[in-house]
Amino acid sequence: MSEPTYSAVNRDVLKPLFTPTAAYFGLLGLCLAGLAWGGYCWLTQLLWGLGVAGYHPPVFWGVYITTFVFWVGIGHAGTLISAVLFLTRSRWRTGINRAAEAMTIFAVMTAALFPAIHVGRAWYAYWLFPYPNQRQLWVNFKSPLMWDVFAVSTYFTVSTVFFFIGLVPDMASVRDTTKGFTRWLYGAMCLGWRGTDRQWRHYMAAYGFFAALATPLVLSVHSVVSWDFAMAQTPGWHSTIFPPYFVAGAIFSGCAMVITLMLPLAKIFNLESYMHTWHFEHLAKLCLFTGGILTYAYGIEYFIAWYSDNPYEWGTFVDRVNGNYWWVFATMVFCNCIAPLPWYFKKVRTNHVWLFAISILINVGMWFERYNIIASSLSHSFDPGAWVYYVPTYIEWGIMLGSFAWFFLWFLLFVKIMPSVAIAELKEAMRPPLKSDELAAK
Amino acid sequence: MSVAVPVEAVAKAAPIKAVYAHMDALITGIEDLKKAGFRDMIVLTPFPRHEVEDAIYEGEPSPVRWFTLAGGIFGATMAFSLTALTSANWPMILPGGKPVVSVPPFIVITFEGTILWACLATFFAMCLFGRLPASNLPKAVEDERFSNDHFGIVLERVGAQDAERVKSILSHSGALEVSGGDAESVEVHHA
Repeated sequence: MSEPTYSAVNRDVLKPLFTPTAAYFGLLGLCLAGLAWGGYCWLTQLLWGLGVAGYHPPVFWGVYITTFVFWVGIGHAGTLISAVLFLTRSRWRTGINRAAEAMTIFAVMTAALFPAIHVGRAWYAYWLFPYPNQRQLWVNFKSPLMWDVFAVSTYFTVSTVFFFIGLVPDMASVRDTTKGFTRWLYGAMCLGWRGTDRQWRHYMAAYGFFAALATPLVLSVHSVVSWDFAMAQTPGWHSTIFPPYFVAGAIFSGCAMVITLMLPLAKIFNLESYMHTWHFEHLAKLCLFTGGILTYAYGIEYFIAWYSDNPYEWGTFVDRVNGNYWWVFATMVFCNCIAPLPWYFKKVRTNHVWLFAISILINVGMWFERYNIIASSLSHSFDPGAWVYYVPTYIEWGIMLGSFAWFFLWFLLFVKIMPSVAIAELKEAMRPPLKSDELAAK
Repeated sequence: MSVAVPVEAVAKAAPIKAVYAHMDALITGIEDLKKAGFRDMIVLTPFPRHEVEDAIYEGEPSPVRWFTLAGGIFGATMAFSLTALTSANWPMILPGGKPVVSVPPFIVITFEGTILWACLATFFAMCLFGRLPASNLPKAVEDERFSNDHFGIVLERVGAQDAERVKSILSHSGALEVSGGDAESVEVHHA
């Protein structure tokens, strides 16, 4: 396949912008409906208190924290693709990095809702942030929950700056194809970018640093999230394997979500010459690699629980397989350890139907993994007298559904107002037209 | 009260603009201009290319890196001070028995502070050195082709006597079109 020309890149990537179809409005309406239902559920919880959630002592973490961890995890693939693959000069990054970065930001924006939803009295959510209160009492910086506030807010800020910087030259391209107010608006959003040598020089220096700064965040953010659990004494949580296990899981689920989002995106908007099977195949390979780490972590958790000879630890792990949550455990193992295995065959991982179907299964499996960790550990802790079966209520499911609607809503808006493929980077990776080539051809 | 200042007419050419379709021709243009002593140019490309940067800046690194370093050091200092000083302000041994100022848990916050401030400082430096938001660029750089599939060189301050020479260098380097450079009278005020 011959390489597209520079002007073809502009034409193809900018074509989907600003022209919503009836199907697009249909999807938008679906998202708004889901969001309205989620909003109704949250409003009910705000009015009646956390009693409407299925919490029962000692289980006070449930669907909300599960969904929070799920969305933070989803974000990781975007940062991995945009930062780590930039530093390693992986060519398959170009084409999918923009949409993956957007996915990261929307995923973190979704995750950020959940601490506020989870604490019940959302209007006190500002207590999370360090500020000098009336008694000069500050937040407890020794608490992993506090580290999480810093980790997630830093992650969000750095990802947003990185995303915005990447968009600047492309918004200039949008500006140059529009007129009137839109032209002015995009001109303002691209900071008056013209692509001068001075602008590019400092831009490229800064871009390298953003990539270098975002790279440790790929590893650190989910490590910090895992410490929310691992720093506690609860059986099933108190484990040093958690940080690498969570990071692998985050990249695994994130790459699956990139496949879930971008396969339809490429098909619907005719971007298949920029996001081709080759990209999805690489994502599938990354899933196989991180899924392998995850399967190993699941196994080693059981081994250590047994080998430690700690009855509480072993009791929790046996309960995960045999107890009330056996179906959660089974779903997790099937979706995360078994379902991706067909991707070892090239035919399967280059087939779009299989790619899409398995990526959905991984998303489901990774949600259940977090649910398995949270619900089964808390409901089967040290004291047998306190063992309960936590069942989420329709309010919790509704809010979780609403979070998906919120995420997809942002993504839908993104594809219509911003270029989904990084135009300047795509051109940078292409061989520039040379006069010497033309002369040689003559 | 206005003071009468002598006004002298100095011949200065209007900005000269060359448009290229080929990367190697653009590089030739930059190098030929530099050889002829015209270094004050604006090169426009729709995407970054190292050969363009090397031709203009000859490997001199961007000063953005110093801001990244300073931002990182500032962030680390601020974040560690925030955790340590606020804890020392209310010296309470919490359950778990960690000392009031316990370094390992504070390292997490310090790390996040380092990354956050290094990132913000880098962004600030990029805007500062790259002169963004751009407001004082000459009109000649506003060409839709430069965000699409063409490259350009714009020379803003060329004396009328040099205009023809510059235009000839640009044409010979392989530019698609060369425009501007007509002599115009500019009033220069001598206070």
